[in-house]
Amino acid sequence: MTKLTYAQLLETNNIIQVLGEETYFLCVTRTVQESKLFPVSSYMLLSYLNAFYRYPTLLRKIEKHMPAEMIADRVRNMCSKIQSIGMGWCMIGFYLLGREMLINMGMIRPQDAAEDVAYVMNFWKRYQLAWHRNDGHITNKEAGHRSQILPERRIQVFHADMYACKDGDALHTAADKFLATVSQYAFLVACESRISMSNHGPYNLGDGREMLVRDFFDLAEGDLPWLDGVASEVPFNRLTVTTAVKDTHFYLVDDWGSFDSRPEYKGENMCGVGLYTSDELSETHTPVGMGSREELTETFDRYADIFKDATTKLWKRIAGYSRNQMLDAGALTYYAIIKDLAHVAGCYEVDDWMKFDERAERFRGLLNDEYGNELLGALVVPLTLPSHQCNEYTMMQHSNAPKRVHSPISYSILAGEDYVPSVGDGIRPGVTYLPPKADRYRTTQGVMTLAEFNQRCKNFTPQLCTEKFRHLDETWVKFHYKTPLADEMYKIEQQTSRKLAGKGAGLSRADVAALADKF
Amino acid sequence: MAKLFVDQDKYADGEGSPIIAAFNSALKDLVRKKLDESGGNWNDFVFGKAYSLITAEEVAKIERKVLDSGYRYTCSAMISIMERPDAYKPLPGTESGAAKFSFEHPEAQTAPADASGREQRGQGDNVVKVPANVIGIARYYRSADQVMQSLTQGVPPDTIAIIDDSGGTLTAPILEQFKGVICAGGTVRSHLGILTREYGIPCLMGAKISGIFEGDTVELEVSGQSKTTEAYQKGVEMTVRVWKHAAKK
Repeated sequence: MTKLTYAQLLETNNIIQVLGEETYFLCVTRTVQESKLFPVSSYMLLSYLNAFYRYPTLLRKIEKHMPAEMIADRVRNMCSKIQSIGMGWCMIGFYLLGREMLINMGMIRPQDAAEDVAYVMNFWKRYQLAWHRNDGHITNKEAGHRSQILPERRIQVFHADMYACKDGDALHTAADKFLATVSQYAFLVACESRISMSNHGPYNLGDGREMLVRDFFDLAEGDLPWLDGVASEVPFNRLTVTTAVKDTHFYLVDDWGSFDSRPEYKGENMCGVGLYTSDELSETHTPVGMGSREELTETFDRYADIFKDATTKLWKRIAGYSRNQMLDAGALTYYAIIKDLAHVAGCYEVDDWMKFDERAERFRGLLNDEYGNELLGALVVPLTLPSHQCNEYTMMQHSNAPKRVHSPISYSILAGEDYVPSVGDGIRPGVTYLPPKADRYRTTQGVMTLAEFNQRCKNFTPQLCTEKFRHLDETWVKFHYKTPLADEMYKIEQQTSRKLAGKGAGLSRADVAALADKF
Repeated sequence: MAKLFVDQDKYADGEGSPIIAAFNSALKDLVRKKLDESGGNWNDFVFGKAYSLITAEEVAKIERKVLDSGYRYTCSAMISIMERPDAYKPLPGTESGAAKFSFEHPEAQTAPADASGREQRGQGDNVVKVPANVIGIARYYRSADQVMQSLTQGVPPDTIAIIDDSGGTLTAPILEQFKGVICAGGTVRSHLGILTREYGIPCLMGAKISGIFEGDTVELEVSGQSKTTEAYQKGVEMTVRVWKHAAKK
C-alpha cells in the first residue's frame, strides 16, 4: 500500500505541472546556448540523469543534519548558489527532466520512484517558501517575476553603503570592467552556463532608482576540481555586487536569476555600487574594499586583473581537456548546483557531488552532440517526445498545444496500481574523468580542508539565525521596531556598515537616503 | 517479448527526430529483452536487476549499431569531431587559416557596391547602438586552436571576429581584444551578446552573411538601432547591415 496520501499527490503533481509551464516559458523566451568549446546539451542530459538517481538520497542525508526550511533561513542572509537559479528552477527542473528522459527511454514508468518524487518536490517547496518568506511567494514566477528576498535591515545597509558613481568616472569605469570580467570568468567556470551568477531584486531605493543585487559564486578554489590551482589568487569564493540603477525599471527577475528592464538596461545608468562577500561561516554580508571610494575603485581594478588572469589559465586548462572531461565539468556544474545545501548543513562530501553515479554513467555512450541537442530540445521546446502528448482538447499554457512538459504521477496508485517507491537507498559508486579534487576550500574564514569546513559549518550559527532572532520577520518589525530587541537585531546587521553602524531599527528609507552618498 | 508500460500510449505520435527515435527505440528494445531475461517482474527489475542488466556496454552497442548503419552525427563542440572524426559529419572551414571559407546564409541580404565601394553582404541584430559604425578586418574564430594561436601571438589589430558560437567561452581569453564581432548565431541576449555589451565591443548577433572571407575589410552598421526584447518576442525583424569594402588596388 502506498505511503502517499491523496493530498500529497495533489501537491506533488501541482508542483510538477507549474514547474513544467515555467520551464516552457523560460526556454521560449531565452536563447538556446550552444558552444564550440563545451558539449553543452550533452552535459546537461548527463547531469539530469545523475540528479534523478542521486538527489533523493542526498537530500534525505542533508535533512538528517538540517531541515530544508532552516537552510533557506540561513541562505537568505548570504550569497549562495542555492537561490533563484539553483533552487528556484534548477533543482526540481533537473530532477524532473532526468525522470522524463528515463520515461521516454522505457526505463521507468511515471509512477516509479513516486515517493522520491513527492519527497524532492516537498523539500523544494519548504525551502522555497522559507527563502521567499519576505515576499510571501514560492517562486519568482508566482511573485510576478520579482525576487524581493532581503529583509529591510539588509536592504538598508546595502542602500546606505553604496558609493555613488556616474558614467565615465573612475569608480563607474572600474565597476563596469569588473562586472564584464567576472561575468566572463563565471561563464567559463560554469562551462558556458549562467549558473555561477544570479540576480535578485528589484528593491525600490526611491527617486526613480532601483537596486539589483548581483551574486557570483564558485569563483575560487573550492568545490570545482577544474579551479584547483588556476583560481589560487582569487581572494573570495563568492561576491555580491550591489547596483543602483536610475531611470530603469526591472520588470522581470525570473527563476533563472536573469532580468529584463524598461528601458533596456544600460551600464551608463548605474549610479551606485557596492561589493561584499559572504558564505556559511560569515554572520552576514561582509564589505570588500568598501573603506573609501578610492579603495573600492582600486579593488574593482585589481580584482578585474585577477579574474582576467584566472580566465586565461582556466581556458588553457579546459582547452586541453578531453571530451569526457569537458562533459564531466559541465555536467557536474549542473548536477551539483544544489551542493551548497550540504555545505550549510555541514555534510558535504566530494564523492556525493563531484562524481557520476554508475546508474547515470551507463548512458554516457549515447550522449553525442546531435542526440544531446535533439533530446534537450525535445524535452523543453517543442515537446515532441511521447510522454509530452496529451488529449487533443488540451491547451497548454503559453502554447495552446496539447502537450505538457512533465508527466504527473497517476492517482491510480492510491487505488492499488503498483509502483516502485524509490530508486533505492544510498548512492552507488561514482566515476569521473577529472583529476582528484585538491583538499583546499577558500572561505570567508580563510583556506581550509573540507573536514574543517564541514566542522565549522556544523558549529557555527549566525546570530541572526539563532532561535532568538530567526522568526523576527518583517511583520514583527512593523509592530516592534521601537523595542530593544529590534534594535539589537538591526545593529547586528549594521555592525560592518560604514554608514549605519549602531543606528538600529528606526530608520526609514528617507533616513537612509539622507545618510547615503548622493546619487 | 515483454510489453512495456509506455507501449500503450493513447496520445503518443512518434519518438521525435531520427536520432532520438533510433536511440530511444533501441533502448526500449533493450529494456524489453532484459526484462524478459530477468523473469518479467517489473517491480524487481526497474530499480533492481536493471542496474546490472542495462549496462554501459549494452548501451554502447546501440550507438555502434547506429554508426554501422552509416549515420554520422552533427557536431556542436569541436572536441567531439576532433576525438571521433569517424562519428561526425565533417565541418568545413574549421582548420586554421581557411582562406577560402565563408559563412553562406541563404537569407543574407546582399546589394551591389555603393558609390563608396561598400557592398552589402548581410545583416545582423545589433547588441548596442554606438555613435559610429565600426570598420575592421574579418577573421574567423571557430576552434580552440585558433584562439590558442591568438592567445600566444596576440590578436591582429582591427580584428572583426566572425564566430558561429554564441557562447562566451570559446573566445573568452581574447574577446577583449576584438574591435568588433559578427556572430552567426544567438540573440543579443546570448552569452556572447551579454559579454560584448559589458566590454563595450560592437557586436552583431544572429548575423546572416555571405561572401565574407578571411582578411576582407568589413563594416558593421552598429550606429543603427539595437534589437529589443519586445522585437524578439513579437518576431519583428530589426537588423542592421554588414558591408564588405572593395579591396584596395
